[in-house]
Amino acid sequence: MFTLSVATFRERWQLFVGAILTVTLGVAIVQSSLLIVASAGGYGEAIAILGLALGVSAFLAAFIVSSTFAFTIAQRRRDLALLRLIGGSRGQIRRLLLSEALLLGVLGTLLGIPAGQIVLSAQTALLENLGFLPGSFSAAWHGWILWVSLGLGIGVAQAGVLAASRRASRVRPLEALRETGAGAKVMTVSRWILGILLVIVGLTLMLVSTAVSNPNGAIPLSINAMVALALGLSALSPVIVPLIGRLTGTLAGRGTIGRLARANLRDGVRRNSSTAAPLLILVALLIGLAGTFDTLSEGAHHQLTDNVRGDLVAAGPIAPLTPGVATASTEYALTIKVTSVNQGDTETDDFPALAIDPAAYQQAHQLPLIAGSYADLHGLTVAAAGGKLGSTVRIHVGGQDLNPRVVAVLPPALNGSPEYLLPRDLVPPPALGPAQSIVRLQPGADPAAVARSLPQPVLTLDEWIAQSDSAQDSLNAGVMKVVMGLAALYAVIGVVNAVVIAAGERRREFAVARLTGFTRNQVIGTALLESAVVTVTGLLLGWLSAMAALIGISGVAGTMVIPWGAFWLTALGAFLVVGATSVWTSRSATRATPISLAGTRE
Amino acid sequence: MSMLQTQAGTAVELRDVVREYGSRQARVRALDGVGIGFARGTWTAVMGPSGSGKSTLLHCAAGLERPTSGQVLLGDRDLATASERDLTELRRRDIGFVFQSFNLVSSLTAEQNVALPLRLAGSKVSMKDVRAILTGVGLGDRLRHRPRELSGGQQQRVAIARAMITRPAVLFADEPTGALDSAAARTVLGLLRSMVDEAQQTIVMVTHDPAAAASADSVVFLRDGRIVDRLVRPSVREVADRLAALEA
Ligand SMILES: Nc1ncnc2c1ncn2[C@@H]1O[C@H](COP(=O)(O)OP(=O)(O)OP(=O)(O)O)[C@@H](O)[C@H]1O
Ligand SMILES: [Mg+2]
Repeated sequence: MFTLSVATFRERWQLFVGAILTVTLGVAIVQSSLLIVASAGGYGEAIAILGLALGVSAFLAAFIVSSTFAFTIAQRRRDLALLRLIGGSRGQIRRLLLSEALLLGVLGTLLGIPAGQIVLSAQTALLENLGFLPGSFSAAWHGWILWVSLGLGIGVAQAGVLAASRRASRVRPLEALRETGAGAKVMTVSRWILGILLVIVGLTLMLVSTAVSNPNGAIPLSINAMVALALGLSALSPVIVPLIGRLTGTLAGRGTIGRLARANLRDGVRRNSSTAAPLLILVALLIGLAGTFDTLSEGAHHQLTDNVRGDLVAAGPIAPLTPGVATASTEYALTIKVTSVNQGDTETDDFPALAIDPAAYQQAHQLPLIAGSYADLHGLTVAAAGGKLGSTVRIHVGGQDLNPRVVAVLPPALNGSPEYLLPRDLVPPPALGPAQSIVRLQPGADPAAVARSLPQPVLTLDEWIAQSDSAQDSLNAGVMKVVMGLAALYAVIGVVNAVVIAAGERRREFAVARLTGFTRNQVIGTALLESAVVTVTGLLLGWLSAMAALIGISGVAGTMVIPWGAFWLTALGAFLVVGATSVWTSRSATRATPISLAGTRE
Repeated sequence: MSMLQTQAGTAVELRDVVREYGSRQARVRALDGVGIGFARGTWTAVMGPSGSGKSTLLHCAAGLERPTSGQVLLGDRDLATASERDLTELRRRDIGFVFQSFNLVSSLTAEQNVALPLRLAGSKVSMKDVRAILTGVGLGDRLRHRPRELSGGQQQRVAIARAMITRPAVLFADEPTGALDSAAARTVLGLLRSMVDEAQQTIVMVTHDPAAAASADSVVFLRDGRIVDRLVRPSVREVADRLAALEA
């Protein structure tokens, strides 16, 4: 059996290049991210970014490997049926495919481990560049990482082939005798059920997420809604691609090429959905993540511009009766520990908080409370984002444990805004962090003159809002650069892989089209038109999935930002990559004279 | 008729086999109550107009397709109801196939293709036997070639060698000479004849070619899913006339 795997592998290595590269990339990224995480104990932001990269990477690797296998196995049905015909058992077919995947996994891992060291220096440099790691940082090597990499590479390959091999083992021997090798039905009952279920799960998660008032809950919910919807739509794409083909095909006109392209879209359902799927996932991830970040920072920006009333922001407390100052709210940033009890489990976490003077704060921040009143915020009390009015919370601040009562409920905290407000006198002075004061000027006072008398640096309110925006944005930009680059890399591998595999399968079809009177350019044009429709479908469905994330998060952010710039950029890239690959492969598939190809089967 | 009755036993027997395709509105009855026995050590050709059910008959007899009703007996087993596992077991030991399209594994050499059924069955593979069989079909100098480096006739001989290696009791062939020129076809028919005469194997062969049918021991004719005639040791001329009458 293993000889046969090796022989198949040698014969059809082009089919596997994409999957091997995917495993290589997955192993390299996971290995390097883990090594950095193991050494970057104190750098939380770097760890958060790498965590996201790790997850995206493992998810995409498994997705692309499994769709590659599903596709190649569909193409090899005749060969597999032949094995059944001459005495192969179902188990043997499965073992054949599993050992092919093993070979692929080992090969990918062997390439991935050294590639991981290259990725490591690139990742370290990038994170240093973005300011998430110090310039002197260097990740230590750990021997155990080899085992993790090997396990991951082989694991991803095996997991990827599992479902496909089960389907392949049910190939009937008689299928070896069909000339056209037209595989089984693409839309099996289980695929329908899976697709519909995932779409329902996605939409439900989205709705739940709009109702959640806490970003820490809403972000993962809406991202999961997007992933579920994306997977569901890609399971259903064999139904959707021809549908969109019919719509856009009508635009392409009633010409010969348009007609043939439309027929091919109906016919090559598996091929087309294999190409659309990685695009769909790419667009969903890019637009969903970018849009989530943009929406959150837009929401935070709105909170600041709508709610903060003042003229200047000074970096320190304001002396009483400073000339020109009408009111000043001095706010001390600090971190408190909050212990929550959840069904018997106690959990203690750090939260950002502000120590404030309630009366002044209320004048500077018009943030409407959800419940309670600032007037009660004195003594052993606290204002909290979320939580229940009248309940008590267990906090630890400045070396003492306190159980203040919640007298005001704040709206959900967006990026970086405080989760808790404490009355200034509740916090022992040594525990107070850096102060800043939001100052309102007396009518007629000269801002520049007043600013000179305040603790420096002093910013105008607009400058201050812009500054807090950009602090948040640089973190988001860093995350997006890392994650987008990754996702794009995988998607390119996945798409090019699918187009290349598909063109190999179509040599004979192209030859027959030319024998019936199509010119070579018409054949290439048809292939290009088809791939354009497939690209549109992938982009559209990906965009729809991303909308699930954005709608989900809009509840908590109070606004929604669709990152059109990123979308059009992705769309342009997708058309270029798919179009170029499609022209290249169909050109090389039509290079030989048609008659020499029309007869061959392999 | 007499010939089939004088033989020692029946290798495969179909009893009142019906095979229908399609759902209610578009139902096609490809086999309509076929009953026939293929005696051990004989070679039977199946002929008939296109669409008359020849391939369906062969597939049902070989356990590749389950009849809608009726029995297919191979020894004491009913293939119509056998489990997938039993059928696999049968394909390993008792049944061989040769088809019009040569059905070789393109990534394996001639030698490896011939040895494949033994490997799948988990038996010990003697490369000496493999080479002897390939030499027997006239391919002693092409052992290491892959299918695409062989001509159609040579590929078909590899496929026959592969069917011979397990010494199956019954060989099913669907238009084995359909894609070959007449010289290559003669070689293939000679090989099939030697399997029947020397190893007492049973062959059921679908063909369109009267010359090929005339090399068999008997010829049965199908029309609209029924056996309508049978000739024993006919001449090419007789077969061609009968076929022309059926197709008219
Ligand atoms: N899988 C199938 N589904 C539906 N109908 C089928 C199927 N296979 C065969 N048929 C129908 O059954 C009938 C007999 O087909 P079969 O392939 O046995 O004919 P044949 O005698 O082998 O023809 P040919 O000489 O052209 O090969 C035909 O009408 C055919 O359309
Ligand atoms: Mg037939």
